[in-house]
Amino acid sequence: MELSYGEKLTLIKLNGLKKVKFEELVKETGLEQVAVMRAVLGLQAKELAKLHERSEKVVKLTETGKKYAEIGLPEWRALRLLRERGKVTLDDLREVLSDDELKPIVGLLRKEGWANVRKEDGKLILEITEKGLKAGERPIDKALKLLAEKGVVPVKEIEKLVPVKELKRRKIGEEETLTEREVEITPEGEKLAPKVELKREVSVLTPELIKSGKWREVEFRKFDIKAPVRRIYPGKKQPYRAFLDKIRRRLIEMGFIEMTVDSLIETQFWNFDALFQPQNHPAREWTDTYQLKYPKSGFLPEDELVERVKTAHERGLAGSRGWGYVWSPERAMLLMPRAHGTALDARQLAKGVEIPGKYFTIQRVFRPDVLDRTHLIEFNQIDGFVVGEELNFRHLLGILKRFAVEIAGAKKVKFLPDYYPFTEPSVQMSAYHPELGWVEFGGAGIFREEMTRALGIDVPVIAWGIGIDRLAMFKLGIDDIRYLFSYDLRWLREAKLVW
Amino acid sequence: MPKFDVSKRDLERLVGKEFTVEEWEDLFLYAKCELDDVWEENGEIYFKADSKDTNRPDLWSAEGIARQIRWALGFQRGLPKYEVEKSDVTVYVDERLKDIRPYGVYAVVEGLKLDEEALKQMINLQEKVALTFGRRRREVAIGIFDFDKVKPPIYYRAGKKTERFVPLGFEEELTLEEILEKHEKGKEYGHLIKDRPYYPLLVDSEGKVLSMPPIINSKTTGRVTTETRNVFVDVTGWDLNKVMLALNVVVTALAERGGKIRSVKVVYPDFEIETPDLTPKSFEVELDYIRKLAGLELSDGEIKDLLERMMYDVTLEDGKAKLLYPAFRDDIMHARDVLEDVLIAYGYNEIEPEEPKLAVQGRGDKFVEFEDAVRELMVGFGLQEVMTFNLTNREAQYDRMNLEYGRDYFNNPPAELVEIENPISPKWSALRNWLLPSLLDFLSQNTHEEYPQRLFEVGKATLIDEGRETKTVSESKLTVVLAQPRVTFTDAKEILDSVMRHLDFEYEVEEVEHPSFIPGRVGRIIVNGQTIGVIGEIHPSVLEKWGIEMPVAGFELFLRPLYTEPYL
Repeated sequence: MELSYGEKLTLIKLNGLKKVKFEELVKETGLEQVAVMRAVLGLQAKELAKLHERSEKVVKLTETGKKYAEIGLPEWRALRLLRERGKVTLDDLREVLSDDELKPIVGLLRKEGWANVRKEDGKLILEITEKGLKAGERPIDKALKLLAEKGVVPVKEIEKLVPVKELKRRKIGEEETLTEREVEITPEGEKLAPKVELKREVSVLTPELIKSGKWREVEFRKFDIKAPVRRIYPGKKQPYRAFLDKIRRRLIEMGFIEMTVDSLIETQFWNFDALFQPQNHPAREWTDTYQLKYPKSGFLPEDELVERVKTAHERGLAGSRGWGYVWSPERAMLLMPRAHGTALDARQLAKGVEIPGKYFTIQRVFRPDVLDRTHLIEFNQIDGFVVGEELNFRHLLGILKRFAVEIAGAKKVKFLPDYYPFTEPSVQMSAYHPELGWVEFGGAGIFREEMTRALGIDVPVIAWGIGIDRLAMFKLGIDDIRYLFSYDLRWLREAKLVW
Repeated sequence: MPKFDVSKRDLERLVGKEFTVEEWEDLFLYAKCELDDVWEENGEIYFKADSKDTNRPDLWSAEGIARQIRWALGFQRGLPKYEVEKSDVTVYVDERLKDIRPYGVYAVVEGLKLDEEALKQMINLQEKVALTFGRRRREVAIGIFDFDKVKPPIYYRAGKKTERFVPLGFEEELTLEEILEKHEKGKEYGHLIKDRPYYPLLVDSEGKVLSMPPIINSKTTGRVTTETRNVFVDVTGWDLNKVMLALNVVVTALAERGGKIRSVKVVYPDFEIETPDLTPKSFEVELDYIRKLAGLELSDGEIKDLLERMMYDVTLEDGKAKLLYPAFRDDIMHARDVLEDVLIAYGYNEIEPEEPKLAVQGRGDKFVEFEDAVRELMVGFGLQEVMTFNLTNREAQYDRMNLEYGRDYFNNPPAELVEIENPISPKWSALRNWLLPSLLDFLSQNTHEEYPQRLFEVGKATLIDEGRETKTVSESKLTVVLAQPRVTFTDAKEILDSVMRHLDFEYEVEEVEHPSFIPGRVGRIIVNGQTIGVIGEIHPSVLEKWGIEMPVAGFELFLRPLYTEPYL
């Protein structure tokens, strides 16, 4: 039979005592009360000991009861005054009674028949009766005395004097259940006890125990392996950033080359003009586009490129009629925090690209929006392009669909006509997410020729962008978009691992 | 972008056929619209239409959507035909409006019988065109009047500010100046004409005011009801092409409701025109260009058929399609625009997606990979990564850090911020030029949370750099904060030291003065003789300003100087 250290010790002590009060057993073992209880219950389960429990209902004094035991019940205090003076007013009783004792006193004295009550000049007058003069110890007084003497008295005994209900009503006494425990060794226990070998118990295996070899002579305290433990927090990556990391790796696996840029600030030239977005386009209105106070304007790229962009806007390129207005280089030089990752596409195309080639970027972008549970003031965008001699609209749909499958885990996709100033034709894709249903997942189009020709590219360029925020929110289990950039440490600490 | 409500019953009346809601969802795509929402109201089904194309005002009403769908389904094909007869109405345009609001174009539409729904659509179209296409009435404003209450000829003239009439929404006469000050529309659009010597006014031969473009119509003539049979349409603005197009959009929509279009003679000081002009426009595309970019094997006939369903008249000739398209469109600049129409008529979802087979190899940016390696290392120290906003403000970056704006703290931070001219809120009015305030902000929002709080971020600090194209540079920085009882400079330095050893760089820490930190417990971090960052214990007065009641130590450094190009 396997016994824990506690059980062994308890059994040995119990063998000497045979039958003992639990509290005494605790003292004998020198262990914690809970440890002894655990040991006793363990021994009982192995039929080596028996725990006897006896519960009894008892009465004990309340705080009020203790006070009454000391200074006397209110009716006695009143009666003593009456005996002294024969008659008193209610006000006179204040000398011996507190405010809340005063209220019920008339009723009490009358009930006992200790006083008569009458009105005189509108005042209540109490007059002592014969019974009041002779009154002696009542059962309730005996009960109070008994309780004051013994502290706790079994209900049974009190009930011989007065109903416990009455004591409770007068807030003198209260009921309690008292449990008395006794532990007794069984014959099996007695048989086993002499054979029990008690080793020193340790809770921690120390290097000394190992070095000295003493570990052989000790017992390891059993752990409650189901006990709850303290919550600890690892160092970990920000969950949304980890999600972006994962998409980045996936895109690289899919053959995309990463584009980066040296500043979050962009000229309107790269943000708008190079994308064939006319200078009077609604998206370029003051309310929809940030402008910088300082520094205000940057520089334009080389003249030849600027000239081609200007021509595309004013008169058109590649068979286009253009927008037909006078293009302003000053406007194009204005600086702004970058509003979309597509600006990087334009930069890359102008710099030169591998043909065929696939490119992507994850960029922090800015829009004049308020910060609330559905809007961010700045956010991350994932987009890029695919360039190749033979690319066509079916390829565009094919690329989008692949994203939906690879990144959103979608089985079905749906394409809708859409509009972007810099692509034609343009598509919006909805992906059917197994749990979210139809989610607007991305947009794409073939860059307009007016744009690509101006940037020096004469083959089709498919531009794409994927909307990952809803997916990220789903993945991270949040319905408030601000948590993507969470300032809530509790949430970050508890957030599930993104992998 | 423009969103508007249409009733299913009204659409079906215009198309001439009933469909299920699911079918409507697909049909909307022909009109470059998305069905955003469906609901029932008074026993009628309503749709919220979200029109995708900001250059197609002709699709921004029930009439336009229904027309495109009727064509797409083949109920009608080729160019839509609208009869235009001349009316005997003339409008004279005042020379003095040249610098105020120079162009007005007009039409009469007769024989209308508009019910409540049709009326709603008319008002919606008028509003959406003026708002989106007309840039909040700046470039296009539209007025529609009860023609029977008007006595031609009509004058579009410069009005004195003291002239008066009763505007819609008022019971008494106001002067033009008062309208700008008191009328809700005057307050909203007054800036478009304010400070000019005169205000535009449209009056009839009896001197009765029709409207004060682009602000408000008069109460007497400017209200169209279900009783109105004949209307007079007025479009004003700055660009003749634009106002003509808007007029075409409005009158053809009314014609879809059974109205007869009558043209009006408009007499300018130096020329005369008859409006509206519904002469179709022409364009030419190569069929092979369409086929190649569509990626579809379409015969000439199929392309012709698809274009006719998109309201083009098509003549095929030498591998080309000569096209005529309706005068209510002005968005065809390039063959690509025609290509998109072909694809929409074909149906995006009828096209089999095909992934291009390209022999390419993906690769990540090496510096981003370096940043990732540093992040891994920081996580290894048990630090929680955070991602905070770049947008901030001067107060957070300097004042709360005990710093003086305009002074350079050895680039941590530099002397100046990149600031936004038109921020949404003063709270987000600059781009951060160091990260430490962002992390203190984070700590200040988590003072109730269990300590220790040990955080890091690898993020951007945006600095002025006059030589660059954008005069700025956003440098990658590593910032660490340790907030816990008894934390000191040494705790921060232990991490810094370990980072440096792992990146294989020798470094020195040299004592400096930096008011954000406790004197004597702050140093600059020097690598190869160059200061790359700062390390120290945050000054209690800074902590007090942020409301942090826990000591904080940390460091911030530029990552670029610690980067060496890897072989792999």
